[in-house]
This record gives sequence, C-alpha cells and structure tokens, in this order.
Amino acid sequence: MDDFIMWLGILGIVVGLPWLFLHYVTKWKQAPKITDEDEKLLDELYHFARRIEDRVQTVERIVAADNPDFRQLSAPTQAPSVSQTHDYDLARRN
Amino acid sequence: MAVRTKFYTDKPNGKWMGVCAGIADYTGIDVTLVRVAMVILTVVSNGLALIGYIAAGVLAPKKPYDLYETADEQKFWQGVRSNPKRSTAEVRSKFRELDRRLADIETHYTSRNTRLAEEIEALR
Repeated sequence: MDDFIMWLGILGIVVGLPWLFLHYVTKWKQAPKITDEDEKLLDELYHFARRIEDRVQTVERIVAADNPDFRQLSAPTQAPSVSQTHDYDLARRN
Repeated sequence: MAVRTKFYTDKPNGKWMGVCAGIADYTGIDVTLVRVAMVILTVVSNGLALIGYIAAGVLAPKKPYDLYETADEQKFWQGVRSNPKRSTAEVRSKFRELDRRLADIETHYTSRNTRLAEEIEALR
C-alpha cells in the first residue's frame, strides 16, 4: 500500500507537473496576440481618442457657455472626463 | 518606444527581484495575491517555483521607467495583453461616442436656433 502511494506520488510529479505546465504554455501560446506594428497603431489610436475627447470637451464647454439651451445628449454624465482625472498630464496635449 | 506587450520585472515596486510585481503589472492581478500564490507554489513544488522565480528575475528585462504615463494607460495595456480584440473594440466605441457628441454640436448649430432668432426679433 505504501509502495503504491509512493509510485502514485512519483507519477504525479513526473507526469502531472510537466503536463500542467505544458497545458498552460499551450494555452498561453494560443491566446490572441498582436504584432509590434499593431501595437504601435493601437497606441496611436488610443492617444488620438484621448486627445480628440479633450478637444470635444473644450468645444462642448464653449458651446454650453454660449448657448444655455444646448443639451449634451450623447455626452457621458457620470463618468469623469479625461481632463478632470487627477493623473491627467497636460504635456500630452498638443 | 518600449514594447508594451512584453514581460518585465518591476524591481522598484518589488520585494526582491520584482518578478511578482512584474506579473502583477503584466496581468493586472493584485500584487499581494501574486506573492501569496508564489509562496504557496514554492511550498507545493518543493522550491521549483523559486528556481523559476530566480530564472525569470535574471532573464526578463527590467521595466522601463517611462512605460506608462498614466494609470489609465497602464490599465488599458493590461487589457490589451489579456484580450487585444476587446481593447480595440473599446477604442472604436470611444471614437463612436466622440462622433455622437460632435454630431450633437453640429445639430445644435445647423438646426433652427430659437434663441438667436429671439434676439434678432428683439432688436427689430
């Protein structure tokens, strides 16, 4: 009986652990990946989005100041805007 | 520009070699959870995980100090690493939202401006 448990343990370590390891390695390899060019493109688009959001916000504020009856129908109401978050970096703007 | 989809060790935020902090930064999992998992793995695997830790600490490049400019950016890239498709869709939805907001402004200026009409009427 002790012999059996010992062999089971050895089998578990020799077969089970590499299996588990390789299982997750293959899973990781199959996970969607993006190329370096795509990464650069996505980075650029992300910063474009932030910058344009900032500009739109400025325009919205100007319009709202000039026209009190202007209603921002599509603007998010509860989500904090980019320029209002504390970590907003002014150096990012151009 | 540094590549954002690679694994880096994060020594300044780490306890020893910064591997756990690097994993936490890469995946977005809380660093304490990663450390606890590391300790459990070390005990369970009779120190094999520790060898893996040291190997990763020696082999993995150090995180560039200017990898992210804001916390939002860090979060965004954590999302990209786990699912680039979803992150791309998020950026697209952001552009859609901006398009709608601009359309609102456009509509406001192109449609009949009652306030301006009233002001002109008052001047007559």
